[in-house]
Parts: sequence; C-alpha cells; structure tokens
Amino acid sequence: MKEALIKTERLSKSFSNGGAMQHVLKNIDLTIYKGDFTVIMGASGAGKSTLLYALSGMDTPTLGKITVGEADISDFNSDQLAVFRKEHCGFVFQQIYLLDTMSVLDNVLAAGLLVSSEKKALVSRAKELFAAVGISEETQRKFPTQISGGEAQRVGIVRALINSPEILFADEPTGALNSKSGLDVLDTLTRFHEAGQSVVMVTHDMRSARRGNRILYIQDGVVMGECDLGKYKANDKARHEKLSAFLVEMGW
Amino acid sequence: MKRTMLLVRSNIRKAKGQTVAIIMLILLSSIMMNLWLMLSTDYMKNFERSHTKVNDGHVTIAAYTNEETFREFVTDMLSGSDEVTEFSVRDALCMPGSFSYGGGEIMASLVILEKDTALCADVGKAELTEESDLSSGIYLPMLYGSGDNYSVGDTIQLALGSETLEYTVCGFFNSPMMGSHNCGVTMMLLTEDKFRALSEGNAAYPSTCISLRLTDRTKSEEMKTLLLDGMAEAFPDVMFVSDSYEEVSESRYISSMICAGILSVMAFLVLLIGVVVISSNVANTIQDQMQNLGALKAVGYRSGQLVSSFVMQFVVISVLAAVIGCALSYCIFPAVSGMMVSQTGIPYQIRVLPVPFFATIGFVFSVVALTVLLSAKKIKKIEPITAIRQGVATHHFKKNAVPLDLTRLPLHAALAMKTASSGLKQNITIGITMLVLSLIIVFSGLMFENMIMDMQPFVDMFVGESADSCIDVNVSRESEFLSAMKTDSRVEKMHLHTNVNVQHLGGSLLPGIIYDDFSKFNNQNIVIEGRFPKYDNEVAIAAKYARENGLKVGDEIVLKAEGNEQTYLITGLTQLTSYLGKDCAMTREGYERIGTLSNASYYIDLTEDTDIDDFNSEVSGRFGNDINTALNIQAILEGSGGVYVALATVIVTAILFVSGIIVVFVMYLLVRTVLNGKKRDYGILKALGYTTGQLILQTALSFMPAVILSAAVGITVCAQIINPLTALFFSGVGIVKCTFTVPLMFNIFAGIGLVLFAFAAACLMSLRIKKIAPRALISGE
Amino acid sequence: MKYRRFLGIVVLVFVAEIAALIFFMNRNVDDRQDVVSVNEALRSVQADFDEMERHQNVTALDYTVLDKDGAVLFQTAAGLSGNINEAVIHRDTVLDIERDGAVVGKMIIHNDASQMRDDHRRRIAAVFIFASIVQCGCLVGYLFYINRHVKKPFRKLERFAENVAGGNLDIPLEMDRQNLFGAFTESFDIMRSELKKARFAEARANASKKELIAQLSHDIRTPVSSILAASEVGAATTDNEKDRQNYMHIIHKADQIGTLVTNLFSATLEELQQLAVEPADMESGELTGMLLDADYFHYSELPPVPDCLIFADKVRLQQVFDNLFSNSYKYANTKIDVAIAVTEAYLTVRIEDHGGGVLAEELPRLKEKYRRGSNSNKMEGAGLGLYISDCFMKEMQGELVIENGADGLAATVRIPLSGSVRFKEFLRNA
Repeated sequence: MKEALIKTERLSKSFSNGGAMQHVLKNIDLTIYKGDFTVIMGASGAGKSTLLYALSGMDTPTLGKITVGEADISDFNSDQLAVFRKEHCGFVFQQIYLLDTMSVLDNVLAAGLLVSSEKKALVSRAKELFAAVGISEETQRKFPTQISGGEAQRVGIVRALINSPEILFADEPTGALNSKSGLDVLDTLTRFHEAGQSVVMVTHDMRSARRGNRILYIQDGVVMGECDLGKYKANDKARHEKLSAFLVEMGW
Repeated sequence: MKRTMLLVRSNIRKAKGQTVAIIMLILLSSIMMNLWLMLSTDYMKNFERSHTKVNDGHVTIAAYTNEETFREFVTDMLSGSDEVTEFSVRDALCMPGSFSYGGGEIMASLVILEKDTALCADVGKAELTEESDLSSGIYLPMLYGSGDNYSVGDTIQLALGSETLEYTVCGFFNSPMMGSHNCGVTMMLLTEDKFRALSEGNAAYPSTCISLRLTDRTKSEEMKTLLLDGMAEAFPDVMFVSDSYEEVSESRYISSMICAGILSVMAFLVLLIGVVVISSNVANTIQDQMQNLGALKAVGYRSGQLVSSFVMQFVVISVLAAVIGCALSYCIFPAVSGMMVSQTGIPYQIRVLPVPFFATIGFVFSVVALTVLLSAKKIKKIEPITAIRQGVATHHFKKNAVPLDLTRLPLHAALAMKTASSGLKQNITIGITMLVLSLIIVFSGLMFENMIMDMQPFVDMFVGESADSCIDVNVSRESEFLSAMKTDSRVEKMHLHTNVNVQHLGGSLLPGIIYDDFSKFNNQNIVIEGRFPKYDNEVAIAAKYARENGLKVGDEIVLKAEGNEQTYLITGLTQLTSYLGKDCAMTREGYERIGTLSNASYYIDLTEDTDIDDFNSEVSGRFGNDINTALNIQAILEGSGGVYVALATVIVTAILFVSGIIVVFVMYLLVRTVLNGKKRDYGILKALGYTTGQLILQTALSFMPAVILSAAVGITVCAQIINPLTALFFSGVGIVKCTFTVPLMFNIFAGIGLVLFAFAAACLMSLRIKKIAPRALISGE
Repeated sequence: MKYRRFLGIVVLVFVAEIAALIFFMNRNVDDRQDVVSVNEALRSVQADFDEMERHQNVTALDYTVLDKDGAVLFQTAAGLSGNINEAVIHRDTVLDIERDGAVVGKMIIHNDASQMRDDHRRRIAAVFIFASIVQCGCLVGYLFYINRHVKKPFRKLERFAENVAGGNLDIPLEMDRQNLFGAFTESFDIMRSELKKARFAEARANASKKELIAQLSHDIRTPVSSILAASEVGAATTDNEKDRQNYMHIIHKADQIGTLVTNLFSATLEELQQLAVEPADMESGELTGMLLDADYFHYSELPPVPDCLIFADKVRLQQVFDNLFSNSYKYANTKIDVAIAVTEAYLTVRIEDHGGGVLAEELPRLKEKYRRGSNSNKMEGAGLGLYISDCFMKEMQGELVIENGADGLAATVRIPLSGSVRFKEFLRNA
C-alpha cells in the first residue's frame, strides 16, 4: 500500500463570475500518493489547474477538506498557507514566473533562503541541481530575460526543488516551450521522479502525460477516471497504447 | 477635445488614490500660498488704512517739557516747513514705565494723554475699540487687550520711575503710531480725574506730544531726524522720544512678516513635493500604459493630444484643488489674523482679495502645467509598434546589485535592496521629499532649542545684550555708584550700556550703544564682521545700515553729536534688532570726543539667588533721585519674548504636522507605484511561500536606503545651512548672520524619528499586499 | 537621445571649466591694507611708545617702529624695511606716531602684496590642472562609451546572425534601446520574429483545412433540400412513368439524406421543454434556505447541512420540498424530523413526520399518477404531487423514497453529488 500524501474529501471550488457561480471543482475525493508521478489531464477549462492549486495550498477550497499528513490545510489562512507552501511544496509554472529583477541564481536562492539559513549548503545544493538540469555557471549569473525559455523552465524546476519539497507541482511546464525544450524539461522531471520525487503535473498534452505513472482525467471539475501506467516501462509501446485507450474511453 | 476629456477621465479613474494625494498636496500648498500673499500684501496695507482712518501723524515726538517757549518754537518751526501739512501739539505726561504683559514685563516710553484730548485731536487721534461705562481709569492700546492679558474692569499696575500706580482698565483704543511697545512711543489714555491726579504728582514729567503729517511720508525718518536735531540744538536739556511712520510700519509687522515668510517657504516646499509626485506619477502612468498609449497612437491620436490629456488631467485637478485651497485659506485666515492682531495690535477686517487668489491659481497652474509637459515629453518618443509589441523594458541589466549567494544581509533586507537599487525614480522622489522634510525638521529643532526650550539664544540674537538689571544713574554720582556696586556681593558683573543718539553726516540718526569695554560684552556674536571698537576713533555700525549705505569695515565716517563732529573708523558690523538694523556702538572715550554723557546706564548681572526687583528698589532707595530708572530686564524679556515664543510654538507644531501628512502621502504614492509595478513579482513570491508580513517588510525596507541616506544627508546639510537661511529669513529686522546652536541630539533623534515614521507609513500603506493572491498566476483557466 | 545628452554634458563641462578659469583669472586679489588692524597697531604702538622694548604685536601685521631720528625701535620680524627709503621702494605704508599732538616717530607697515600675488598664481595653476584632469576623464569615458555601445553590439549581432542562419529562431536578439544601434538591431529581431510567425502560420493553415471539411458536411443540407424540391416538381409534372419512378427514387434517396442530416441536428426539444428539469451544480448550503422556505410553519428543526456540491435543479427541488412539507401539514400536521446526511453518491434529506404513516399496501402506489392515500378523502388534491416530485428527482439523477418510519411517513430525497457515478453517466449522455 502506497503512503498517502494528500487526501481530499468532497473538495469543491467555485468562483463567482459576475454574479453567477461557476463551479470548477466538484466533490473531488482524491488521494495523492508518495513517490507517484501523478498527471492530471483534461481539456482546457476542465479544472485541472484549479485542482493543482487547491492541492498545493496556493488557493483555498470553497467546500471540502484537504489533509496533508495530519494537517487540514483547507482551514489555513493565507499566511499559514504560505508557510505550508514553502515547507512542503515546489512549483513549476507554465509561464515559468522567474523574477526578472534577479539573476538566475538569486531566483533560486530567494526561494531557498526562505526556508534554510545555511547559505553555504544551500548554494552547493543549488549548484548540484543546476548541474543536474544542465544549467551552466555562466547562465546562473544571467537574468531570466537573457536566457531561453527551456533554460528558464529548468531554472524554474531548480527553484521548485531547492527546498527538497515533499511534492513538486507542475502546471503545464511545457506549455510555453518549443518541443525540444519541452522534452528537456520532461526528461528532467522524469529523472527527479525516478530519484524518488513525488510529482503532480497538470497537462493537456499526451506526450507529457505519458511520463506519469498515474493519470487522472478531469472533465467539468470531476475526476472521470484514472489509469495506472506504473507497470509499463518508460519506452514500452504498451504504455502508450494503454494511455491512448484510456483517453479515448474518456472522450479525449 | 472630447476625446481628450475621455482620456482624462479614464486616467483619473485608474489612479484615484494618487489623485487624492496630489489634490491634498496642492490644497495644502495653495492654502499656505494664498495666506502668505494675503499676509504680505493686504495685511501690510492694513497699517496704512488704519493710519489714514485716524489721520495719524507721520512723525510723533514727545518732549519732556511743557514750557510755552518750547511750544512756540515748535509751532513756528512746523508752520514754517513746506513738508509739514498739518500737526497737533498736545499736553501729555511722559515717563518710561513698565507693566506686566504676556507673562513678563513690558518696558516702554509712555506718553499719557487725557482721554478726550486724545480722541478729538486733528492729527494722531486715538480710536476707541472697546468702551465701558467705567468713568475713572485707564484706556490701553488694544494690543494689551488681546489674549488673556487685560480686559475691561481689570487693574493694571503701572510702574513709573520709582512709583507704582494702579488703574482700572476702562477700555481699549487703536493708535497706529503709538499703539505698541514696538513703537518708540507708547500711548496710554487716562480719564480726566486720573490725568489731573497724575499731573499733580511727581511720577511723570509734564510734557508735550507732537504729531505731524507730511506731504511725503517716505521722508518721515529724515524729517524726524531733522526736527529732533533742531529741537535738541535749541533746547539741549530736554529729553525726546520719537517714532516715524517708516519705523513703526515696519516694526509693528515683524511677526506677521516672519509668519508670512514661513508660510511662503512651506508653501513652496509642499508645492515642490507635489510637483515631484506629479512628475513621477506621469512617468509611471506612461510606463504602465505604454501599450495603451501605443495603441492610441496607432489609431491616430497625435502625441500632442496624448500629452494634453495628461496636462489637462493634472491641471484640472490642481487648479480645482488650488481654488478650494484658496477658499479654505479664507476659513483659516480669521484664526491667523486673530493671532496676528495679538502681535500687531491693529484691528484687521478680513476682505476678499482677488490678486493673491489669482496669483496663487496662476502659479499653481503654470508650475503644474510645466511639470506635466516636461515629464510627458517621453510620449513623443513612443513608437506605436514597439509599444504594442512589448511595452518598454522596465529593467536594465546593468549588474546584479546584491547577489544573494555573496551578500551577508538577511534575506528580506537583501531582496529589499534589490528593489531599491532598481527604482531610480522612486529614490529621487524619496530623496527630494526627505531633503525638504529635513530642512523643516532642522528648522523646527532650531526654533525648539533656541526659542521654545530656552529663550536666551533668541534674545541674544535679537536684543544683543541682556543682563538681570539695568540701572541708570546721573553722571554726578556715577563714581559713588560704581564703588558701591563693586563692593556689593550680589553683583557678579557690571558694565556700562548707555543709549545715545548720534548723527551720521550724510546719513541717518543712529541710536548708539556706549560701552566701557566691548571685550566684556556677553554676546560677542552680534559682531558679524570685523570687531568691536577698541580705541576712541573707532565705531561699529549695524550691518544692515552699512549694506544699505555701501559702507565697509575700514571705511571712515563722520559722526556728530551735540554740535561736534569727528571722524571714526568702522571696525565692525553688528546686528541688533532693537533699532531695525540702524544703530552704532562705540566706546565711552569714543563718544566723549563729540559729546558728554549726562547719565549712565549700567547692565548688572546678579548672583543666582538675588531678587532683581528687591535689588533695584534698594539701590534706587539708596541713591534717590540720582537713579533715573532701575529695570528688571529679565522680566521685560519674558514679557516681550513670550509672544514670539508662543508664535514659534504654533509654527513648529504646524509644520511638523504638515511634514507628517507629507510623509504619509508620499509613501502612499510610492507604495502604490511599486505595488502596481510588482504585482506579478509579489504573486510569485507569495506562491513560493513568502507571507504577507514578509513582503510588507521587504517593501518598506526597499525605501529605507533612500530614506536613510537622504535624511542623513539632508539633516547634515541643513544643519550647516540653517543659520544662513534663518538669517535670510530675518533679514528684514536687521539680522545678517545667525549663530544659533543647531541641536545635534535633537536632529539625530528627529532624523531617526523621521526614518521610523517613514518606515511605519510605508508598512501601513503596504497592507494592500494582503490582497495580492497567488491564485492570479493560475494559467489558462 | 543619449548622444545628445552626452554632447550636452561635454559642452557643459567645457563651459564650466572656462568659466572657472575666467573667474579665477579675473578675481581681484583683495590686496588692500587692513585699515582696522593698522589702526590697532598704530594705537598700541602709540600707547607703548615710551617702553617699546615691552611692546607686543597684537595684530597680524608686520611693522617697524622708528623714532624721530630714524632709529629702529621695534621690528616684528627680521628683513622688514628699516628706513623710510626702503619703505618707499617696497611700497610700504608709512604712518606718523603722535603723542599729545606732536609727531614722535614713524611706523612702517610691511607690504605683503607680492606674497598674495604668488598665492593667486598658484591657485590658477591648480584650477588649470584640475580642468585638464576633468578633460582626460571625459575622453576616457567617451572611449569606454564607444566600446560599450558600438563595438559590443556589433559582436552581439554577429552571434545572432549565426543563430538565425542555423535555423534557430527562438533566441531573441538582446536589445539595448540605449545603444546607438537600438532601432537597427530591433529590425533584425523583427525579421526573426516574422520568420517565426510565418512558420507558425503554415502549421495553422494545415489544421484549418480539416475544420473546413467538417464544416462543409454541414452545408450539404441546403443543396439536398434543393434537389428534393426540384425532383418533386419533376415528378409532379412529368408524364413519363419511367421518369417519374426515377424522380421518386431521387426523392426517396434525398429524403434519406435529409433525414440523416436532420437526425444529426434536430432534437426532441419540445418534449424536453414541457417540464424541463435543468440540474446544475450548487452548494449544499443553499438547501438550508430552501428547506426553511418549504417548512413555513417551522415544524422541523434543521440539522446542519454537510458541505458538498450537489447536482440539482433549484426550482424543481424547491417544488419537491414544498410538496413533501405541505403533504405532511395536510395529512399529519405534527412536528417533522429532518435528517441530512451525505453518502458516497448522494446527499440524502429524510423528512419524517409523526402522523403514523399510511397502510403498508398503499405505499408502493403512492407515487403513481392520480393516486391518493386512503386518508385523503376530505382533502382536496389531484394526487399528482408525489408523482411529479418523483419525476423531478429522476430527472435530476436522484431518487424519492417514500416509506413508513417509526412514527410516521418518511420521505427520503436523494440528491446526487456532483461528480458521483450517476453524475458522470449524466455527463456522458449529455
């Protein structure tokens, strides 16, 4: 039995949209397990990113409970959530969201120093991670607007992992990248997953989705189905077929 | 036009808070500017109006004699002069007298008239402002009825020479020329019975009060000198006191001039901050709306139209604010005028003044329009395509200011430094604001230290020399008096300090101070250039007078007294305010080359525990009639200085309050600008786990380098230049150089206080960060 | 424009230097004698004249005191003029020393003007050197500027061109609007992005072709109906039986196509609209208000509603509750127990009164059309309430269960949770 990381209980999220309520997530009962590469798929507008942000404490749910370990984060106020995020979560965004006013290294350290004050250890961990994602020393000194999108997203991953989070949340990490850079980013994520990192990724791209071992399909704010790819090897053709079949069944 | 108005409205709607802040700054500035203009134009003219109304004299002379021969001489002299249009010669009683006022004592040359004589004279009549049905007593100038001094029915104790008389106050009157101790002559009216009683006694000299009007009032000073010379020559034994239109009109308005001066400085400073805020606002708006502006250009708006939309926007609000400010200033004016009346003692009727109003509006209009035009120039350079495509790069990658891996600063401080180093414009705004505020603070510190806490430096500055007691003794018994004082254990220090008048040939009549040894002068600071006279051919003259007459240290002048003339070398320039910058100082030997002293005044410093009044009366008793006057100088200083201290307190409080408001406004605007520009960054940081509190701290900290630096520089620089600035300020009353102590600790603490206040304001204003949610980063949904 | 500003600064520096030089050159050295000091020196000498050996110089001046015969009585320093002739040569000031109106000696005040002139010359030289240093600084600054804003951008452009040539269109040309070639380099970057756009447009064109085909198939309906109409006219007007059969055949086939197409697009809208139930997501909290509305006599005490999202038509659900409560008022008129619970798939609201319930055999038929319970004789009604409520609940993918509870009749309303299995089925069918 896998260890549960996050558990939701009838999680709902609604937005008020000019008076009319828009229910984006509906009674989601879901468990995210440790060590999984969980992929949340769905058409755009299905609620996948909202789910991701609710799971990661970026946003509070309208109804329902989210428990992480012993804590019920659905009752947290915004500051408690901020503390929760910095201690447990790492984020990779579609728009990357590096701070333009800081160098690449500083972007990573700005996240790292928030948790740890051991600057030396932190810098060496950052360098390790940079090496692991293939960001050169020279690039580390550059500013985000001076590097390519692929590099920036890999920096984003380093930033997300600098505090060794329990879970890495990735929101369409390849959405703003060309296919070559996207592939690099996916490979990076896969490598970290294989090293034991729990990952939750939102995507609407099948090629990205194939990297996960557990695929959740979301439609209209409901988890319509899930598919376990864990038993297939990464390059197994069957893995791809299984996923395709699942997606066809889900009406993809 | 319609299109422009649309742009204006959308711009204003987008920046409500900034608009409010700008309105408040312009409002404050225009209130003060209008008040200043009203004070310095119409308020001054008020004296003239009042003067004309009672047909007051341009020269007033009181002679300590009532002999018919003298009066005939005067009547002949005045009727024979072409310059004199009309005059009056009245019976009066004269005597230097003192009475309590403003918490201390006032010493003045009193000219006491019978009430009815005074009220119906042709020239120089008094005008009753408050009356009662009390039929026996005294009428005072209305100055002494202000505040909580005297009111009808009170008893006033008047010390005339060695006698102290008690009168019931029956009412108050207005007399432009003789209504204040700031004039050379102070008039008081007695009811008929009291007047008769006083004339029969010995307390005051039966005298003659002469008021005359001239064809040309600008010659009043000259005429006064001429007349006094003539009279002194014909009647050398008679003592005269006098004043002239020129002197009085200036001296009665010292405090309102100072007040107006401070208002004008404040008005310009606040307007300066307003201008800085507007210009940074324009720059920011252009930055924020680069794409919109590009789009508007693309659809065919001309640069001129866009610029004029900005100009319109700010000019409309500013002019509106200025109009409201002017209106408000009329609400405040009664209070200011009330305060002023208690200083000037001349009633003032508030009137609507179009000139200051239009001047204020016009000035605000042109300054704002010019500022916006200059700061909006950038619009002309916007290329529509570039702007739409990507806006304009907001960050130049010069270098990494604070690398996080190397810095030793704590994380939040380091991040704040990064922000601080990237916002040049905001730093400039902070810099200018803080410089202005430092000036205000240093000035307040100066006033506080040298006036409110301890009046002495201020007194030294304006009075020159002070002591505990001033005793005037006839020369005949001078040596006896001196030896008595020398052996008296209560006397700590004593020196000659006699006032005489000498005529500068080719110049004015100069009141002079005769001193035995200037090296013993307590306040050496009154010599601002050169040195005090040492030898009998030397003289020091007032700096203001020297400047006006082109005299320098090293020049020779001819002085005349009692008909004798001698040449003197100018060794120093002094500043004393008692004669509004028109006086001289020389040694006793020096004066005795041209004249002889009939009486000598000594300034005496007494030991701590000696009661000054007791000492005075004891000495007076011992020497009897040979002591002319014995004054308690400390009490007099408290009396006349107290009013200024009260004024200073009000001013300091007001300007500190205004500074506080300015800090809050400027911080509001800056924080707003920063938050608008960094919304996305704050969202990201929040997503990474930064709490609201940490981000508020960062924001507030990011202002601190500029705040601290500019406050430190500002306070240091201002502390250096405040004395010359203050001197400039008081130059009207004869001050050329100030040597006030600048309170170091006060400035340091005030600086720290200012920084902390700015920090607190920034934190408070940054609370809006709470509203920024990381949710805004969610993609695609 | 930065260049203009730079030029302005250079000119300004020049002007400032020239102004400074002119100022220092023309500044008059104040070489006038200090009269006050002279007076003091003279006075002090006069006072001490009888005992010149005890005389102290109280001023900053240098002077020599001679007696009536020209002998030196006192000198403040060595090397000063010792007699009147030397004093005249040196342009010194010579004064008479008087005592009681008679001249008793001479005083020669030393002339130090040449010293002052030397100082002045030195000062001008210093200003000149300073100005030269500023000039050098400007020059070095300019060279630095040229390197940074002309040479470097060119090198950058070289690398960029290599990238574009190699087909990599993603790397933008870093632009620095501040440099001289800002606009120039920018057009290069525009070229790159236009190339990139062209590639993207090509890919999009391919995709839109497929869309077009899909759309065309919709448009077939119009020509089909034209064919139908024309064939009908043909069939009606022809005399030839064979032709008519052909026409009939065409009509038949065209009809078939038409039906196929119509089947695709028409729906049984009218049927749905009669008693349309349009369930949507709503928060369970809204039930509280609905139940309070329905129970206008307040016979029940409402328990808290568990938070969840339910799938229901608000209007119809309100009707169901209204019906259940008014039934209870009519037939039982007792206090009502309401229990709300959430299960895997439903939010259940159980409404039970204390009226004893109905006969067991009547239970299954209560929900039928026009069916009323045996105790309803005196009551008005058509027997449609529960039937309709049941329909509504079914339409909402929920259920209405009527049973006898412990004390009276119990109605259980099962409202599906959004996202439950039945909800998913509903989604798939819709």
